Amino acid sequence: MIDFITNNMAPLMFAGLILFMLYGYPAAFSLAAVGLFFGIIGIELGLIQPDFLGNLVFQLESITRNDLLLAIPFFTLMGAVLERCGLAEDLLEGFGQLFGGVRGGLSYAVILVGAVLGAITGTVAASVIAMGLISLPIMLRYGYNVRHATGVVAASGTITQLIPPSLVLVVLADQMGVDVGSMYRGALGPSIVQVLLFMAWVLLLSIIRPQHVPALPPEARTLRGWPLVRRCIKGMVPSLALIFIVLGTIFTGIATATEAGAMGVLGAFVLAWLNGRLTRALVYQGMQTTMRITAMVIFILIGARIFSLVFQGVGGKEWIESFLVALPGGQVGFLIFVNIFVFIIAFFLDFFEIAFIIVPLLVPAAEALGINLVWFGVLLGANMQTSFMHPPFGFALFYLRGIAPPGVKSSDIYWGAIPWVVLQVMLVAILIFWPGLVTSFLDAEIIVDPNFELIVPGSEGGDLSAPPLIDLSQPPPLTTN
Amino acid sequence: MERLLGLSRAIDGLSRRTGIIANWFVLLATLVCAFDALLRYSLSTIIWIDKWLSASGGNLTWLLDFYRNNSNSLRDLQLVLFTGMVMLGASWTLKVNEHVRVDLVYGSVSDRRRIWIDLSGAILFLMPMCIVLMYFSWPWFLESWTGNELSQNAGGLPRWPVKVFMPLGFALIMLQGFSEIIKCVAALTTGYRREHGYEKPVQ
Repeated sequence: MIDFITNNMAPLMFAGLILFMLYGYPAAFSLAAVGLFFGIIGIELGLIQPDFLGNLVFQLESITRNDLLLAIPFFTLMGAVLERCGLAEDLLEGFGQLFGGVRGGLSYAVILVGAVLGAITGTVAASVIAMGLISLPIMLRYGYNVRHATGVVAASGTITQLIPPSLVLVVLADQMGVDVGSMYRGALGPSIVQVLLFMAWVLLLSIIRPQHVPALPPEARTLRGWPLVRRCIKGMVPSLALIFIVLGTIFTGIATATEAGAMGVLGAFVLAWLNGRLTRALVYQGMQTTMRITAMVIFILIGARIFSLVFQGVGGKEWIESFLVALPGGQVGFLIFVNIFVFIIAFFLDFFEIAFIIVPLLVPAAEALGINLVWFGVLLGANMQTSFMHPPFGFALFYLRGIAPPGVKSSDIYWGAIPWVVLQVMLVAILIFWPGLVTSFLDAEIIVDPNFELIVPGSEGGDLSAPPLIDLSQPPPLTTN
Repeated sequence: MERLLGLSRAIDGLSRRTGIIANWFVLLATLVCAFDALLRYSLSTIIWIDKWLSASGGNLTWLLDFYRNNSNSLRDLQLVLFTGMVMLGASWTLKVNEHVRVDLVYGSVSDRRRIWIDLSGAILFLMPMCIVLMYFSWPWFLESWTGNELSQNAGGLPRWPVKVFMPLGFALIMLQGFSEIIKCVAALTTGYRREHGYEKPVQ
């Protein structure tokens, strides 16, 4: 018995992880408990040294030194402010009126606005709630199919997960040890393909089920000509400015993702102020939500670090790696397996739990198989989008449930999500077989040195140890006045 | 039981206060980071204005000096605020039941079962974790405090303000865990009703 346990510690610990997590106590503490429980067993069995747990402080130390994690509160705060600053209203009204006359026009508007909001902020809740509150009632009033309407809103909200500056990509970049900028660049192609896929689906629907996506009647399109143009500009100009502040500064290498997030918060404050909505309540509520989410996420990270420290100590990394590398089919076989695994586990685990627990186990195997980590990260990011969408636990559906008009049934929201999940799975498949979609954007890479030091010309005088710049061996040139 | 519940309320009050501090840390961290970044973006402009001003006798060297002397402190300050918001806020997050769970089981069982899950989890999972982490992080902080450890960034802040939040935070969570245990026991034995139902946190 003891021999069996000693030889199979890693698989047993993995089983323990599942059991403890299923128990239903907050994940952060359950994770830590699995780690400590098996750590004690490991010490008793002599698998790990008694002082091994002392390494915990190095884990804590690395968390408190990580600049990148600061991006979590910044992007969350930005999302919380943007959610209520009126930007989504402006965008949706403008685009809705612009495309309203076409069949499926409101759906196109929602998808495009979802993409624009996604390029500004990094949180799903902000997009889904804002768009659901505004678009859903209009879509239902003009006869859109309920399932289609809820599906398109939820799906367009989750685009945020893939379009830079997404929080998911920041966390994945951190876990994989790649640069956030490359991760963002790699996600550009896939996010465009995703928007196109969604729009193609709406187009298909407007042909085969025109009654589900009717065009708006002329009397509903009140804005024409200049007022319409002005309305669109009013939505687009601040959006583009914010996109530049956040994404532009990251891509040009001026700012790190963290700084861009903080600048984005300022931008969101300014925008809310311009729309007359910058109240103390709004700011404080944003701070409060942000604090809770940050504490929750970082505690999952702490728990996950305790777990993985002990898991490594009992040889878990080697066990997982040998198992994953031995999968048939090489790179593609590995990717298909991993994606199916993540897709399934995303039914039960939150995105952050997957990123902190599962991803570190997968990375060594991916490296051993020679997989480009940026490609792998974007792939996982695209895959985990589905975790926001699949019934019954998907976050996006959950938010939508909270704000949908009373007539909308839960079953409608669930059924409505399914075609969009299929589209997202298609995107994952496209990415597996066409890595160029990610990697070709990486070639023009600008290397940003994170330890970038700017030397300010000082007032203390030049360097006297070096020879003067004027060549003294030559007579000075003659100048005639 | 009444007295224990009183103790629990007192602990909740403490967590609420540290939670409010943590809330403000969010805004402060954002402003510090944005200020730092803004100052850096605009350095070349400041240098240019400085040159331009020096012709007329004025200068902006004080601003440049400020940046040179404090940019690393500003960076370290962000990390202090970040650690603070997590460690001071976690206990209040526990109080309002916003630590995410795998709610496959928890979501489908009766209220009484949930109380049992929370009670056993707090005793078996939460308490040992806090004790172990306090045990390890306290000497870690002390070493930094007595050794006057400095940041790795030249001219930065001392390291202990970051480290002190660790044992402090785990102690606060342990206290809050104790308060939750009292509430669970009260709910099981008397008619006490716990106020915060579980909802998945917004993200």
